This record gives sequence, C-alpha cells and structure tokens, in this order.
Amino acid sequence: MPYPFVPERFSAGLPPLRDGVDRVRHRVAIVGAGPVGYCVAIGLAVHGISSVLIEADDSVCAGSRAICISRRSLEILDRLGALPGFLATGLPWTGGRSFYRDREVLRFAMPNDANQRLPPMLNLAQYHIEQILLDRVRELADRIDLRWQTRLTALEPRADGVRARLATPLGDYALEADWVVAADGGRSTVRESLGLALAGTSYEGRYVIVDVAMPSDRPTERLAFFDPPCNPGSTVLVHKQPQDVWRIDYQLRRDEDAEAAVRPENVLPRVESLLAMIGETADWAPIWISLYRANALTLERYRHGRVLFAGDAAHLVPIFGVRGANSGIDDADNLAWKLAAVLHGHASERLLDTYSEERVAAAKENLGYGAKSTEFMAPPSFAFEWMRTAVLGLAVRHESVRSLINPPQTSPIAYTDSSLSRAAESSPEFETGPAPGSVLVEAPLGTPAPAARGTEAPAAYLTQVLGDHFTLLHFAPDGVLPADLAGIEAGMRACGIRWRTVVLGAGTDEAAAALRALYGAKHGASYLVRPDGHVLARWRRCAADDVRRALAGVLDRVALRIGDG
Amino acid sequence: MNADELDALYTALCRAMTSVGEAQAPILLARFALLAIVEIADADRLRQLIAAAAEDLPDASGRGHT
Ligand SMILES: Cc1cc2nc3c(=O)[nH]c(=O)nc-3n(C[C@H](O)[C@H](O)[C@H](O)COP(=O)(O)OP(=O)(O)OC[C@H]3O[C@@H](n4cnc5c(N)ncnc54)[C@H](O)[C@@H]3O)c2cc1C
Repeated sequence: MPYPFVPERFSAGLPPLRDGVDRVRHRVAIVGAGPVGYCVAIGLAVHGISSVLIEADDSVCAGSRAICISRRSLEILDRLGALPGFLATGLPWTGGRSFYRDREVLRFAMPNDANQRLPPMLNLAQYHIEQILLDRVRELADRIDLRWQTRLTALEPRADGVRARLATPLGDYALEADWVVAADGGRSTVRESLGLALAGTSYEGRYVIVDVAMPSDRPTERLAFFDPPCNPGSTVLVHKQPQDVWRIDYQLRRDEDAEAAVRPENVLPRVESLLAMIGETADWAPIWISLYRANALTLERYRHGRVLFAGDAAHLVPIFGVRGANSGIDDADNLAWKLAAVLHGHASERLLDTYSEERVAAAKENLGYGAKSTEFMAPPSFAFEWMRTAVLGLAVRHESVRSLINPPQTSPIAYTDSSLSRAAESSPEFETGPAPGSVLVEAPLGTPAPAARGTEAPAAYLTQVLGDHFTLLHFAPDGVLPADLAGIEAGMRACGIRWRTVVLGAGTDEAAAALRALYGAKHGASYLVRPDGHVLARWRRCAADDVRRALAGVLDRVALRIGDG
Repeated sequence: MNADELDALYTALCRAMTSVGEAQAPILLARFALLAIVEIADADRLRQLIAAAAEDLPDASGRGHT
C-alpha cells in the first residue's frame, strides 16, 4: 500500500555555463535539500542572503524517517515562516506510557505549562516536513535557486571559496561559491571529499521500522513496550502520524538475520500480534519496512575553512531521543544568522568558529542523551540488561526508579560555555530567568504587548516578538524606555543592522506580573537576544554602552554608533 | 537525589559490572549491597528493601539476551 502522499517530481536544469562552469559565482552553495538544507536556505533568505541549493534526488524524501518535531524546532520554524504548515498537518502530543510485559510502569508528561504557545512535540512524516519547507522555499524563489537531480560528486576547497563538481542527467558542470554548507546527510559526499570521518559509537542493536496504514481513534502519545507478550525479549515503540499512518519500531533478537527480518512474512505477524495486544482490530496494511541501527557519531569541528557542516552530515544521533532532525534544525538556525552577518560584512569569519564551537557542544549533549535512550532500548551488555530488568520490575511498585525508564525528551540546549556568552558582560545578580546562552523562556505577554513579528497585532507570547534581528527586551514596570536606550534602534539601523527594541512588563494584569517574575525583572532588567533566540547578555540596569560592548564581541566589523562608542 | 544523579549512578554501576564481566558481576553486586547496608544502617528499612528486591522477581526469561 502506498503512503497517503504523492510527491511531486522535479526535473533537472542546467544554468548558463562558460567552459563548463556556472557563469555565476555564488555567495553560498548548500548541498542537500533535506530538512537541514532547506532550513539553512530559508534562514539565509530571511536574513537577506541568496543561495543555490543542490539536491541529488527529484523529490522530497520517501519512506519513514523523522516523525517527531520538538517545540524548540517549531519556534525556529515559526521564525522561518513555515509554522502554519506544520501546525496544520502535524499531530501535537504531550506524553506517553511505558509497559513492562503486561503492566504499565510509567506515564510521562513532557514539560508543558500554561505559559506555552506550542506543543512539546508534533508528529508528522519527514516527507511532510520537507514538503512544507519546500513550499516556503518556493515563496522565496528570488533568493533560493533550488536545483533538482543535481549531485555533488567532488568538492575542491580553495582559500577564498570552493569549486564543486556537479552531475545532472543533462550533463555535468562545475560551480564556484564563496561558502559551502554541507547538509548532504549521513553519507555526506562533502565530508568524504575533504577526507573527514565521523567518530563515536555504533550500536549493535538493530531495529525494524514499519509504517502501517490503520484507522484508529487512539490518542497521539508515545507507547513503549519492554519484553511484551506479543514479542518477548524485544522492545517495541508505537507512534501515531497524520492521515492514519502508524509507526512501529521493534528490536531484533541478536541471533536474527537482518535480511530475513525485513521480509514481509516475518514482519507482518509481529505487527499483527502487537496490534492485537493493544486492542486494535481494524484492517491494516503495511506501507514501509526498513532496518535501523543506532549511531552516536560526530565530526570534531563543523567549520573547515569555507565549508560548514550541518545536520546528519555533521553528526548522527540515535533516533530514540528524537534529536536527529531537531538538532539539525538548530544547527541551521545557529548558522544562518552568523553566515549572513559575515556576508553582510558585519562580522569577521571568527563568528563562524562559534557556530562550530556551540553546535559541537550541543551535539555532544545530544549524543549523550541519545546514547542513554539507546542503551535502555537495546542494552549493550549483560549488565545494562540486568539493571534494566531490575528497573522495569521494581517500577511497578516503586515510583522512585521510574525516571530511569523515561526517555530523556529533547529539550532546548543552552550555549552556557560559548565564547559569545562569556565575552558579553552580563550582570550576575539574577535569581531567575534565562541565563546567557539559554533560549528564552516562553510566556504570555498580557497587555499592553508589542506587535508580533511581521504584523501590527499585539503578540500573545514572548517568542512571537523575535525575528530576523537582534532583540533588546527591556522590562520596564512603568513602560518607559530610557532615552539612552531609545536611541539604539536608529543607531543600529544606521549601521545596517537589523534590530528591534521591545518594552515589556509594563502591564498591571497578572500575565505582566508573571512575566516580570519569570525573568527576574520585578524592578526592571534588559535581555539582549540573538537572532536565534538565545540570550547573549542581560543586565539589571543597562545603558546603551553595555549593549554596544556586548554586540561588538559578535559583530566585530562594524563601528557601532551608539552609547559612548 | 535528582533524576540526573540517579541516572548517572545507574550507568556507573552498569559500567562497573560490564568491566568485571558476567561471571564476577554478581560478586560485585553482593559487595556493593553489603557496603550499601552498612552505609544505610537502618535495620528495619534494610529488611524492607531486601523484601522489596525479592518481591515479584520476573522469571528468568527477562534476563535472556535479546
Ligand atoms: C528511522 C528513522 C527515524 C528517525 N526519527 C527521527 C525523529 O523522530 N526526530 C528527529 O528529529 N529525527 C529523526 N531521525 C533523523 C532524521 O531523519 C535526520 O536527522 C534528518 O533527516 C537529517 O536531515 P539532513 O537534512 O541533515 O539530512 P537528510 O535528511 O539525509 O538530507 C540530505 C539530503 O542531501 C541529499 N544529498 C545527499 N548526497 C548528496 C550529494 N552528493 N549531492 C546533492 N545532494 C545530496 C539527499 O538526497 C537528501 O535530500 C530519524 C531517522 C531515521 C532513519
């Protein structure tokens, strides 16, 4: 049975050539139109930078891959202008249940308080993810030159850029660019061309990934079954996707032959017995079967001269923490504004080293969580297996051990040790609120509220005031922006820097008071936020000169005409 | 103890057992239990814990390698 989604096919094209070389030298070439390549291209376009996006295939991806998109990713996608499509298609969910044999041993809920605008997790198929991003790319067609059926075969790095060799059904050509973003996935040709290799751990445990079509009213939640009666000794995961597609992942026994294991005659009975166990009686049909093996691998650095790695090309995270696509979207978000700042002449190339620094640190954190989930799903030694048996058995009666079953859910990563956060001199005396390096904590704004991004209407939630700019959040209980700070916006614009100053926390309603409390800003405070939503610096009391100095550490190529500078 | 600390200790114990090997791991666990007993030092509580550990033991199939 086919998926309830028919991908559009696109043909190859050739640009005008001179001696077999694209006549246009591009500022940025992005290799790979997967979730990450799309997000880089859109992010750059939003920041005013054009790019060429090169994709080997003739359509969005096929088959079952990423299905869980995190709240942090949705915040990023919102800034990229793609959120409505995600919310219209995806299924939001907030928690799940785990079972050991025939008993429920855990009910978990992901962080989700009344302050949230977006669900903690949204399920949709990767072809949906890519299609929604592709729709956005087409809206930005004047800034994104997408070339289908164009495969990069080799990359030659040069001091001031790169030369790429491309193959298409219409013939081969070369393309020159100042910068390359390698978003060409786990088997990255760019990585290979530079002689680089991922390092880390590859796990033994193998999983069968099955998508089935099945009508069911069952809620969207994550179900995990350890040693279930329907498949003794195995671990089985169940996820709901839109349009009555269900994803079932189950672990193979060590002695099972991988090739035989993915044959329908071996897969279908296991799926049937699982569905019978959970009480699903409707007719179902298989759509997709594949084999998966977990890897926890990364490059040591994501910047190699003029080549920047992002997404699976840079790191492979086990699927069980659902951090693969999600961490790649975060890579794209971190990279886009920095590369744009360098290309606009606002920052030196050094800023791109902080992309590598921050995202390699994030990958290590993601890999740690991914490894934990994987070790629980498929114990790598007798010891992990004994201990897991102990946890699952005890969990029925002993709540205190249940946290060990809970898969660590993907949560926003803080760039705490980043040189950018350290260089910006924040005041240390905050009791609460996001510290430098962290992402903003979501909260409703109450009234009066500043306008939401791209509209005249007041924003309902804090993250809606962020956009393709640095943002100064000034908490002023009296609603007054000091004259000194009021001049910043014009000063920044005069230097060509996109900027927004937002006054918050002036209302007398409960939401405004709660917002001040959440940000440790009862008596006023200012937060300087990067275009990717991470806090750069914060002050109890801030003068324009503090802002200038904090920003000068990031945008080191502009003479900022604000404060005393 | 918070969830992260519990998790880190769980992993540390798994690694210690893995490094001594399957034959010696039960001895390691026995020694660890003894050290925990003298450290906890609350006889009533310890009797309860020993009983809880023995309760509802899954049958041996739950220990088979998958
Ligand atoms: C079974 C499974 C389940 C998963 N579940 C989740 C989940 O729930 N949540 C999550 O966040 N992640 C999940 N992931 C991971 C997620 O799918 C990947 O992390 C994500 O697709 C990475 O995106 P990417 O854009 O970096 O790479 P890819 O999606 O691999 O895209 C790379 C693109 O580059 C193109 N390309 C490759 N080589 C070339 C070349 N030489 N020239 C031109 N183009 C090229 C490819 O055609 C492709 O379009 C899962 C993965 C698997 C396998």
